[in-house]
Amino acid sequence: MFLHNFKYTFKTLFRNRGLIFWTVAFPVIMATFFHMAFADIIESDKLKVIDMAIVSNEEFENNILYKKTFTSLSDEKNKDRLFNITYTSKDKAKKLLEDDKIEGYLELKNNKPYLTFQANGINQTIIKYVVDEVHDTEKIFLMNADLDNSLGTISADIENYLNNNKVELKNIANSNLNYMMIEYYTLIAMTCLYAGCLGMVAIDNSLPYLKGNGKRITVSPTKKISIILSSLLAGYIVQLISLGLLFFYTICILNVDYGNHIGHIILLSLVGSIAGISLGVLVGAYIKASDNVKSGILIAITMAGCFLAGIMGVGMKYVIDKNLPLLNKINPANMITDGFYSLYYYTDFHRYWIDIISLLIFTLITIILSCNKIGRAKYDSI
Amino acid sequence: MEKVIEVKDLTKEYNKGIKAVDNLSLNVYKGEILGLLGPNGSGKSTTINCILSLLNYSKGSIKIFGKEMNPNSYDIKSQIGVVFQDVSVFDELTVYENLDYFCGLYIKDKKLRKQYIEDAIELVGLTEFKKYYPKQLSGGLLRRLNIACGIAHKPKLIFFDEPTVAVDPQSRNNILNGIKKLRDNGATIVYTTHYMEEVETLCDRIIILDKGNILARGTSDELKELAEIEEKITVEVNNLDVKYIEKISELKNVDVVTYSANTLLITYKKGKNNISDMVEFLKNNKIKYNKIFSERPTLNDVFLELTGKELRD
Ligand SMILES: Nc1ncnc2c1ncn2[C@@H]1O[C@H](COP(=O)(O)OP(=O)(O)OP(=O)(O)O)[C@@H](O)[C@H]1O
Ligand SMILES: [Mg+2]
Repeated sequence: MFLHNFKYTFKTLFRNRGLIFWTVAFPVIMATFFHMAFADIIESDKLKVIDMAIVSNEEFENNILYKKTFTSLSDEKNKDRLFNITYTSKDKAKKLLEDDKIEGYLELKNNKPYLTFQANGINQTIIKYVVDEVHDTEKIFLMNADLDNSLGTISADIENYLNNNKVELKNIANSNLNYMMIEYYTLIAMTCLYAGCLGMVAIDNSLPYLKGNGKRITVSPTKKISIILSSLLAGYIVQLISLGLLFFYTICILNVDYGNHIGHIILLSLVGSIAGISLGVLVGAYIKASDNVKSGILIAITMAGCFLAGIMGVGMKYVIDKNLPLLNKINPANMITDGFYSLYYYTDFHRYWIDIISLLIFTLITIILSCNKIGRAKYDSI
Repeated sequence: MEKVIEVKDLTKEYNKGIKAVDNLSLNVYKGEILGLLGPNGSGKSTTINCILSLLNYSKGSIKIFGKEMNPNSYDIKSQIGVVFQDVSVFDELTVYENLDYFCGLYIKDKKLRKQYIEDAIELVGLTEFKKYYPKQLSGGLLRRLNIACGIAHKPKLIFFDEPTVAVDPQSRNNILNGIKKLRDNGATIVYTTHYMEEVETLCDRIIILDKGNILARGTSDELKELAEIEEKITVEVNNLDVKYIEKISELKNVDVVTYSANTLLITYKKGKNNISDMVEFLKNNKIKYNKIFSERPTLNDVFLELTGKELRD
């Protein structure tokens, strides 16, 4: 029964032109557009140096970690140089920002970094990630420090750390990972979530209150769980084909270089697709409407999620992270793009695994909610 | 007689207080075609969906093949076939694939399944269309596919929910003959419709439903006895003088006379030779007429008698 339903679900999904367009063809078309739009950038192939200012108050001057980090990241001799920094007073920094001379400025106050931006874009995101990273590192040092340890020992520790870990932060500017990668990452994230359409169609076919076919299946002597699982598996296989095609197309035809983390990228997109499918199941199970209305709702949810996660420009992600962090914590699109960004910006995988685990938790919760609904639906009104 | 379905005191409310099916009890006996006849919204589909455990119900008990029916009665379900009111097939699968899919939910053996599918295709006359997709079929052919999907696994008990809606008379006759064939091969059939002609020609027993209640049950002849009239004579005559209408109503056995749109309608409660009496009357009074014919009462007259409204919509 499992195989029988799997085979035919696969056929119905694959022959559904609208579905295949959105899940398989659309990402490839988008990738082509990105490629054309980025043709110029590929030429220069270098990340621009970002202009920023730092308020050179007493606190900054005394903070070895910040000072050293930013000095080394703005060192003109450094070929991976990331920033061009003006050290100045707060008022002057404000003026520079207003005059569009800098992308943003950093001020240390009460042991906390404060960033001020006027616009949101990739440059602001990079500044923010560097500052976040330094801040996290500092916290670890302060936590590990013995209470008796004098401040002097701590700064010695920090200095020691910086000497041995210089490479890490500089990797941020690693030139083989360039700006347009982010657009490809959000594209992969979007493709993962479009798997929701597959999940939704699969579930549509097996629920009695949705369609005549579901009624037929329900009056047959077939266990519903077997139908649902085999349908979802068929949906997942179609999704794998779609992802495979996207990776093949971007890597082999468009020559996109995903860097050293291709394994992690693939794992993330596999997990992301499961989350996408379960989102589709949730919408399919809870919303009683015509096929078109439901697909519309699902695509709208997906698009909104991707927008908040920064598909139209990473600045949006920064705004949400700052003002409505909870929203991005439950937004699967953000979990996926965030996982990709973390591969881009950090050399350790801590944040990446958090994103993977978040996606799995998201999937689990959606599945529990859907099962709850489907279980009740089996003996409820049509 | 062996009871295949036993429904007792079934009540179904979709919205609190409004009963779509009200305290309904019925039996279906082995080898018969039972017709459920009723106008739109009378509760036919609801009754069938409750029997099939697709809907839960507020009250009542349902037994099929002597066993309590519930959503997990897989052994009962494996003996049932359903042709739903709405065409339900996969648009992305061909005629043959649709049949293979739905039949495969019941029949695991591939060789046997292939045979069953061929039989079903032949029964509904879709042999030339095996490779067609549903979108390429006309409405009538689609209905036939819908029927084939419900019966391909050779079930012992089959429900047809208005399978002939929007089908031309010729296809309809094919379908009705096919259903009779299924009965002759041993299946028990529940057939719902609001076409009285269909139940009259097809069904062994008829249940008339209205507003979720059973109004009457019996064979076609038994039901017709319920109608107060015995015979209906129709005469097509142009410009009849009103004075004759009064004269006709005074003739023997005549119950009611109406004349409109050049059609004279005379109903009789009883009596023999009514039509020859009428012909003689017309002749004696030198009334020219185009056509004259006599009918027995129809189920529509029965329905009219029982509810005061027409069955047809
Ligand atoms: N899902 C539903 N929710 C609420 N009311 C419903 C629902 N389905 C049917 N009804 C109501 O229940 C009553 C019986 O409907 P049902 O579909 O059983 O009639 P039917 O005899 O099959 O009619 P038709 O000939 O039009 O198919 C109607 O009044 C209808 O409005
Ligand atoms: Mg109906």
